[in-house]
Amino acid sequence: MPHFTLPIHPPTNTNTPLPAPSQPYLLSDPPFTGQLPSSRQQNPPGTAIVIDNGSSSIRAGWSHEASPRLQFPPLMARYTDRKLARRLTFVGSEIYFDGTARGQSKSAYDTSTSSNIINNWDVVEGSLEYIFAKLGVNGQNVDRPVVMTEPLANPAYARRTMSELLFEGFGVPAVAYGVDSLFSYDFNGGRTGLVVGAGYTGTHVIPVVDRQPLLSQATRLDWGRSQCVEFLTRLLRAKYPGLLTGGKITETQIEDLVREHCYVSQSYSSEMLGMLEWSGLENRDHLVQLPYQEKEVVVKTDEELRIAEERKRESGRRLQEQAAKMRLEKLVRKEQELEYYRDLLLRVQSAPTKKAARELLDEDEFKDESQLDRRIKEMEKSVRKQRNKDVGDLEEETAEVHTYPLLEIPDEDLDEEGLKSKRGQRLLKANHDARARAKAEKAAEASRLASVQREDDLYRERDFEGWVEERRSARQTTIQKIKDRDRFKADLGNRKSQASQMRMKALASLASDNPLGRKRRRGQDKEDDGFGADDGDWAVYRDIQRGNDEDGEGDEEEEDLPAQLKSIEAELLKHDPDFTEQSTQEAMRDWTKSLYHAFAHGPYAFDGESAREGAQMHLNVERIRVPEVLFQPSIAGVDQAGIVELIETLIGNRMAGHPAQSLLAKDVFVTGGYALFKGFEARLEAELRGVLPVEAGVRVRKARDPTLDAWRGAAQWAGQGDGGGFVTRGEWMEKGGEYLKEHNLGNVFA
Amino acid sequence: MAPITTASNETNHQALLDKLDIAKIQKPFRNPNFKAPQRRNKSVKQILSDASRREASLLTTQNNSGASTPMPVTPTEAGSLHPNPAQASQDLSRLVLEKNQKAAQTGPSVTYTSIAAAPSTRPKKRYCDITGLPAPYRDSKTGLYYHNKEVYAVIRGLSTAQIQEYLALRGAATVLK
Repeated sequence: MPHFTLPIHPPTNTNTPLPAPSQPYLLSDPPFTGQLPSSRQQNPPGTAIVIDNGSSSIRAGWSHEASPRLQFPPLMARYTDRKLARRLTFVGSEIYFDGTARGQSKSAYDTSTSSNIINNWDVVEGSLEYIFAKLGVNGQNVDRPVVMTEPLANPAYARRTMSELLFEGFGVPAVAYGVDSLFSYDFNGGRTGLVVGAGYTGTHVIPVVDRQPLLSQATRLDWGRSQCVEFLTRLLRAKYPGLLTGGKITETQIEDLVREHCYVSQSYSSEMLGMLEWSGLENRDHLVQLPYQEKEVVVKTDEELRIAEERKRESGRRLQEQAAKMRLEKLVRKEQELEYYRDLLLRVQSAPTKKAARELLDEDEFKDESQLDRRIKEMEKSVRKQRNKDVGDLEEETAEVHTYPLLEIPDEDLDEEGLKSKRGQRLLKANHDARARAKAEKAAEASRLASVQREDDLYRERDFEGWVEERRSARQTTIQKIKDRDRFKADLGNRKSQASQMRMKALASLASDNPLGRKRRRGQDKEDDGFGADDGDWAVYRDIQRGNDEDGEGDEEEEDLPAQLKSIEAELLKHDPDFTEQSTQEAMRDWTKSLYHAFAHGPYAFDGESAREGAQMHLNVERIRVPEVLFQPSIAGVDQAGIVELIETLIGNRMAGHPAQSLLAKDVFVTGGYALFKGFEARLEAELRGVLPVEAGVRVRKARDPTLDAWRGAAQWAGQGDGGGFVTRGEWMEKGGEYLKEHNLGNVFA
Repeated sequence: MAPITTASNETNHQALLDKLDIAKIQKPFRNPNFKAPQRRNKSVKQILSDASRREASLLTTQNNSGASTPMPVTPTEAGSLHPNPAQASQDLSRLVLEKNQKAAQTGPSVTYTSIAAAPSTRPKKRYCDITGLPAPYRDSKTGLYYHNKEVYAVIRGLSTAQIQEYLALRGAATVLK
């Protein structure tokens, strides 16, 4: 009978770190792709110019063509170039080719609030000029009708200003306005359904029944790709502090990151939980490399090192020679002085009268002979010492026996002189004694340490197990003491903690006049409570000190616990066979097990010193977190309902009783740039199926081309050309700037 | 940042500048007499507040004017106009007022602000402010949600500015006006 045994893999404690990925993602270059073509060919009459005014890009072209000829972002830079002394105007992506132009560029929309209402009309004017010029319009006025898209529920002011610009500024004969997502739905053959227009600055949900939009039930969620970009910027700034400052990364680069790396997760909570798991992390984590500068490391060759050393030694030697010369000079001078004093002494001693002696002494400011004598003796001593040190030709100084004869004599017998010298001698003796004591103590300490070490070694040789046990427990207690001390220090910082309150109590009792409320004993002085008489009293200062210094000054007096720990571990490493590198405290902080490391640095080792690694960003969690906000706006702090909830309330509550209520969910149509995120319509379908009843029959479909179909729908609608919806110039002048002809693919008059 | 055009030097750059500049090209379609009105660049906030003020004033005028008094309905009604022009004009004005009244009671049906989605009524799921993973715990001192004790250790080491930044991502930062 065959007998199988599966190999048993011992569980690995550490996760194996991986080498760096071979192909990191780089930041994109700014999107200047060249000049857009312009056409000069004649266009058949009866066509209209179709402009899809979107907040992410303007798409424009002729209505008989299949695709818009121009696509560019709504940006314009108009400035005066100093060198050419000329006004320059650049529109669209062409601003990116020049740094000044990019700095001067303005957007048609208000970028700080991410709204889709046009804010800067100069940019619109410039864009329209650009469009008409590129499309080959060269008559006195634009002689074709214009179809334009506008945001849902566009304010009257915006429509009025746009009409004014078109009619007055460019002489357009007729203008029609429509909503882009409705155009796209119509182009994709929609009749009754729910249109989800996921645009750049907002997402609209519009129910359409029998090709008529129910705009009173429409709703808008303020989240689109531009808010995604802003959210990702703030997330990265919080994750990698200091990396995104200084304008190193521009907004377009973050937008490209969003486009390339983000996708919609099918099941957010479970995917999130597994996102930072070690296995497979290298597939989910995308490494983005920012431009960096390698730090200069000056590598000196051996030659250079040797030369540098030589030079150092040379200068050292030179200094020594100089110092020796100076000392010799001083020595010589001192000897000369000594000679002079000796001579003086002789003269004084051989002076005829006391007066003459006195005079001689006074000249050199000596009070009497004995002082002179003493001075001579001092100088002799110093000269001898120096001689010894430098020249070394005199014999060894006889060991001076310090005698303190005067100390024996009681005070009464001495005169004032004697008393002074006695005090001097007492001081000298005390000094000498103290130094001797210190030396003795040091010797004793050293011998004690040596004996302890010997004992320890003996113990270890005798009883190895016991020694190991003892060391291990010592290590544990040290670790515990470190932890306790850290916790205590942290507690002191918190005002309301127990430790802090005890400290306050100690301070208060120290400062109060009668500590512990003790009644003053009779005879005890009011101010004297006996503090300080006992040396142990001063320890209270150590207790009340907060110890929040960072230099570790307080550690000098306390036991240096980390160093102790290290020494114990070193001993264990040396002698204990079981205690390996891995068990030491250092290895306990294993970075491969750390969640935060996986979050910030992926499954790769991180070298904080390297400039290349310091300029890297890892996108793992952000890849699904950023697009998820459309489904759960509370993730980004947007105080609105998610898109699934919006659709659910729309179909369930607001359309209740409407005959077409049951038909809406059968055709949920998704269009707009946000639909380009991978997995968007699958996720929407799954979620809707979960909240809508079975009879609703949820089906979600995406436009064939989510970004361009709005333009194509408008072009098709213009081509159908029944003239409905077009406001002519005459009508506009007569009926006012806000005149609007409602049609089934546009806004209603408000 | 420097221009990224390949082999970009002064003359190339200059040539490109000239090529792309649209101020130089002829624009015959542009009306030379058209002067843009001053101060037409209004901020979004301004546009919306102007619109809301206009709606509000429309409502109040309808309510306060005597035009909303219901007048007695004569039998020849509902669509046909009186042959007498004076009567007809009265009918016409009454019809208009009725329509306005209906509109005034409900307000304009679709405005930019009325379209905006309402806040959610569902309970919100909590996610870790630092890592984005599901967060079962909340730090009472800072108010941040965190995933496990390791992230908690990270939170304790954050400075006040970083804490406020994390809270601002969620919209929960304290804003001092």
